[in-house]
Amino acid sequence: MTNSIGEFEDADLFLVTGSNTTEQHPLIGSRIINAVERGASLILIDPRGIKLAGFAGLHLKQNIGTDVAVLNGMMNIIIEEGLFDREFVEDRTEGFEALRNCVSRYTPRVVEMITGINRHDLEKASRMYAEARKAMIVYAMGITQHTTGTDNVKTCANLAMLTGHLGRPSTGVNPLRGQNNVQGACDMGALPNVFSGYQPVADAAARKKFEEAWGVGELDGKPGLTIGEMMDAALRREVRALYVMGENPIMSDPNSSHIEQALSNLDILVVQDIFLSETAARADVVLPAASFAERDGTYTNTERRVQLSRKSVSPPGSARPDWTIICELSRLCGYPMDYGSTAEIMKEINRVTPSYGGITYPRLENSHGLQWPCPTEDHPGTAYLHRERFSKGKGTFLPCEFKPLAEQPDEEYDFLLTTGRIYFHYHTGTMTRRIGALSREAPEARVEIHPEDAQRLGIRNNDMVEIASRRGAAKARAELTVRVPRKVVFSTFHYSESPINSLTNPAVDPAAKIPEYKGCAVKVRRCI
Amino acid sequence: MKKLPKAELKGLLIRWAEEYRVLAPGLKANGDCLFDDFDEESFTLDYGKPPLPPKSVCFPQSEITFTVDNGRYSPTVKAGPTILFGIRACDLMGLRQSSNFMNRDRRDPYYGARRDAAFTVVMACPGPQNDNCFCTTMNSGPAASRGFDLQLYDFGESFIVEIGSPEGEEFLSPFSLPDLEPRKAAERTSEFRSKASRAMRRADAVPEAMDRLKNGTENEGVWDRFGDKCIQCGACAYVCPTCTCFDVSDHVSAPGSGIRVRSWDVCLLGGFTREASGHNPRPTQALRLKRRHEHKMLYYNGDDIQEAISGCTGCGRCSDFCPVHIGTLEVAAALAGRDSPGK
Repeated sequence: MTNSIGEFEDADLFLVTGSNTTEQHPLIGSRIINAVERGASLILIDPRGIKLAGFAGLHLKQNIGTDVAVLNGMMNIIIEEGLFDREFVEDRTEGFEALRNCVSRYTPRVVEMITGINRHDLEKASRMYAEARKAMIVYAMGITQHTTGTDNVKTCANLAMLTGHLGRPSTGVNPLRGQNNVQGACDMGALPNVFSGYQPVADAAARKKFEEAWGVGELDGKPGLTIGEMMDAALRREVRALYVMGENPIMSDPNSSHIEQALSNLDILVVQDIFLSETAARADVVLPAASFAERDGTYTNTERRVQLSRKSVSPPGSARPDWTIICELSRLCGYPMDYGSTAEIMKEINRVTPSYGGITYPRLENSHGLQWPCPTEDHPGTAYLHRERFSKGKGTFLPCEFKPLAEQPDEEYDFLLTTGRIYFHYHTGTMTRRIGALSREAPEARVEIHPEDAQRLGIRNNDMVEIASRRGAAKARAELTVRVPRKVVFSTFHYSESPINSLTNPAVDPAAKIPEYKGCAVKVRRCI
Repeated sequence: MKKLPKAELKGLLIRWAEEYRVLAPGLKANGDCLFDDFDEESFTLDYGKPPLPPKSVCFPQSEITFTVDNGRYSPTVKAGPTILFGIRACDLMGLRQSSNFMNRDRRDPYYGARRDAAFTVVMACPGPQNDNCFCTTMNSGPAASRGFDLQLYDFGESFIVEIGSPEGEEFLSPFSLPDLEPRKAAERTSEFRSKASRAMRRADAVPEAMDRLKNGTENEGVWDRFGDKCIQCGACAYVCPTCTCFDVSDHVSAPGSGIRVRSWDVCLLGGFTREASGHNPRPTQALRLKRRHEHKMLYYNGDDIQEAISGCTGCGRCSDFCPVHIGTLEVAAALAGRDSPGK
């Protein structure tokens, strides 16, 4: 997020797209609701009638996978009507002409054809966003989990830069991180191509710095594999061992039968988790990990805030904090790691990660956390990013052309399946499905289907239905609702007995390698 | 009544902590003030309204009610002597109401044992602890009228200690505190209470909303409006001193062995009333909110509420913490037609 969570309270306008905020980030969703009640405007761009639709002044229901066209269309209107921020564009950006050329083809009529959004609504949304004083774009996986995920993100950034809606309080671009520490994991370099603080492994100077810090010889400058690539490599037997920590790829990765095959091809699968997940159940070795309450450490949340978390109970059985397992394993592999505590690890993070330079344990103990960038011990932390300049200097417009979903419905697979999450369960349910009250609230998977489609197929509310794609099939109960558009079904991947990711398309975004969870072709029938 | 010089308070707490579990306000390193095990260093008297009532002392968030070991059942009633130091009058009222509710028809052995083992020291409020306090409206504060073991009134250099029970008397006996002249002390504490009461906000919308609910003349559309924005977080029930609904779940560790656990529940969740058939008598969030607030303001047992006027103690925490402003104060204002639309 370029802004902070507290800044939602003061925004004048929210453009929410691809985020079911009240379900997945409820405390941010509630700030949006409060702001709307005090007079802020809300534009929602989402194919489904999610809860925020009831608070939106304007709800644009785009066809799934047409986000680039929607946003390009908005930019075209904003440029045509002279509503863009000339000063911001001139002083702080580059590449405006290329952007103008690209988006000029996305006239309201063209966009209406691609996206299904009424041109007048698009014009209204464009004017509202451009003319707002403090506007925040809010997005989540609905933007990123596409084969055009990177393009979608770039296009959101283009829109914000064009209108100067960046670099001020309550004004910016806000991807909401879905897990308590996904930001922290990325910051620490749990990615195939960077060291901590996004220092590229391909950069010789960065490599040298880490070689010295760690007292090792030459570090590999070649980026590693992403999850999807690892699975493909395992199928080819190029990857022979996999060490999975706190992840459940059988449930969470697309095309699960392919994943199962890949895992069974390995020489050894090691899974480190707090419960025996579906993936852990197949492991050769399970390393029991301590849960959040059973260990010390820090988490970095969606607003880049690093917060200290203290051990309050002892881990059960032979479970141990992840860091001690990793240190021990490393020692056995011949590289001793002699950290005595998480505080010592943080000292190393401070030394080698510029944005975390001033985020020390003593400071975290006496505060509610610090927001990076926080380069030095006397730096107060950063509430919002890109204040006077972008980290690279000028912001470059990166215009993108609309590209359709990788898999389109056809005569046989005539529905689009879009996946998401629900309020009561977290990810693959490893934790939440073990909690009585949460299981009671949402005991089984549902498939949302439009009543007209359901009627045509003879499906009644609560009937078991089978949805099938070219890759697999799953059964779940039908929920007849106008929340979903016609010819679209929605379901979740929380339930192992309804493994929705056995259907999803493993086609990935070429840059980020994120799979297209948000749209694939399926057929639906009532189970007899 | 006795006089307790402030300088001697810590000594008294240290002495108590040798024998009992003492829960007292403490200032944490990050600036939060919480009720927690007494700790000499972090102990503070500058604590206002603690974010949580002392409910969990008698009614833990989650507790094992029995264990089964190879088919042998054993109940687990865990209660150790505990001193609740410095609770507010509204929270004492919460304990008294809940205790009556949990033990009225049939004693709840878990709650009952813990309540019996809890010794209460109330700190009379000198005035509102924040904008949402409305104890005087509900007749639960600023000082407790009964039901406490000891009650302290802060007079700067010293406290006046009001003794509310024989146990209270007994707990003070090792300290030989000076007695105060009864009439004079009563005058001073009564003055303290009136001054505090005058400073406290009256939330007239609450009794008005209660009347309207009773007469069926409440403002229409209120529940739908709140139902639309409720995010079902359950915070209102968790922070409420009188919410004691629980869910029961079994956790099997091996065939014939396991535990039964009861955990806090929230009536705002759909599954709370969903029946086995799938039918739900409270199918919408609007109706669930209506039920919750009716339980506080309309359907309460006359014995349970003690001297208060309803099942709400006026602590104001639901209004403090609801992320979308659906606390008792906001709901009552809306029911009474006193809120401004769009707020």
